[in-house]
Amino acid sequence: MDLLVYFEWMESSLLGAIGKSYGGVYAIAQSVHLMSLVVLGGAVLLTDLRLLNLIMKDVPSETVVNQAHHWFKVALVSITLTGVFMAAAVALRLYYNQFFWAKMLSLFAGVLFVFLVKLPLLSSAPHAELSPVSVRLVALASIAVWFTVAATGRWIGFS
Amino acid sequence: MNQLLLHIAQWIESLSWSTRLHESYYMYNWIESTHVLTISLFLGMLFFIDFRMLGLTMTNVPASRIAARLHTPMMIGFVVMIVTGLLLYFAVPVRVTQSIWFRIKLVLLVAAGINAWYFNRKMRESSAKWEDQSRAPKPLRVSVTMSLMLWAGVITTGRLIAYDWYDCYRVQSEFIAWAAGCLAE
Repeated sequence: MDLLVYFEWMESSLLGAIGKSYGGVYAIAQSVHLMSLVVLGGAVLLTDLRLLNLIMKDVPSETVVNQAHHWFKVALVSITLTGVFMAAAVALRLYYNQFFWAKMLSLFAGVLFVFLVKLPLLSSAPHAELSPVSVRLVALASIAVWFTVAATGRWIGFS
Repeated sequence: MNQLLLHIAQWIESLSWSTRLHESYYMYNWIESTHVLTISLFLGMLFFIDFRMLGLTMTNVPASRIAARLHTPMMIGFVVMIVTGLLLYFAVPVRVTQSIWFRIKLVLLVAAGINAWYFNRKMRESSAKWEDQSRAPKPLRVSVTMSLMLWAGVITTGRLIAYDWYDCYRVQSEFIAWAAGCLAE
């Protein structure tokens, strides 16, 4: 399936036109994208550093995970919406950018990991009954995948 | 004052390591990436402390406990951001010194710091009375809302530094030229 036609359509769409014509709007979208990164990254770090027993050791990890996950979802929606808007303005450049595809793959992997691996594991039993090795591996994998998403996203701008 | 700031910036720019940093492909990009990604650690922790004060998360956990537990990782992130921020400044000192967005960012940073000092003082004085409640008292909620707005402003102005709309080489209004300290293109 050739995605080029979709990227061409996206860049010629109204969204793409707005992003290209109004630099201020584009800059604000980038800033909201960054603020969403703060919340999403903060939620990930809060959860994973707690699962690694590095912070908030006197707060039940179930509380931290459940509460942080709510803001993770909010930030994921916001970061996706602003990301689509930003991508529309430079869609064809992104199509040929290897870091963009690396980010999309890692984002896809990250979302699958959270909803199909991490959350099912952490909601399957009280955390004290789960294998500590499994919990720590999940936390480390989560940090690694979301770091990759953020880093490849930044490197889009450098390439 | 603008003349002094420009002289300092030009002196830094004349240093060989400033040029090496500016012209390096990997080093500059890694420093900037670290600066941007560390906001998840620094501001991520800070936002969650603020969310707790506003009653938006972990309302069954004492507010002062959340503030205390997240303080260390937050400050680790802050130190990393200061160090990388200084390095980014040292790489392009003249342009950044004459950037109106950088100047606004610094003002907002100072304001956020003052607000944080005020918030921490008030919280220490009064938290025993309200820390188990879902929300902090109104004066502290106002301070926390200011915190979120100021840091959103820091993020936005930081992002806008890269845009050259108000760079000194362009024709600017007298006010912009003065506020940005345009003395050299």
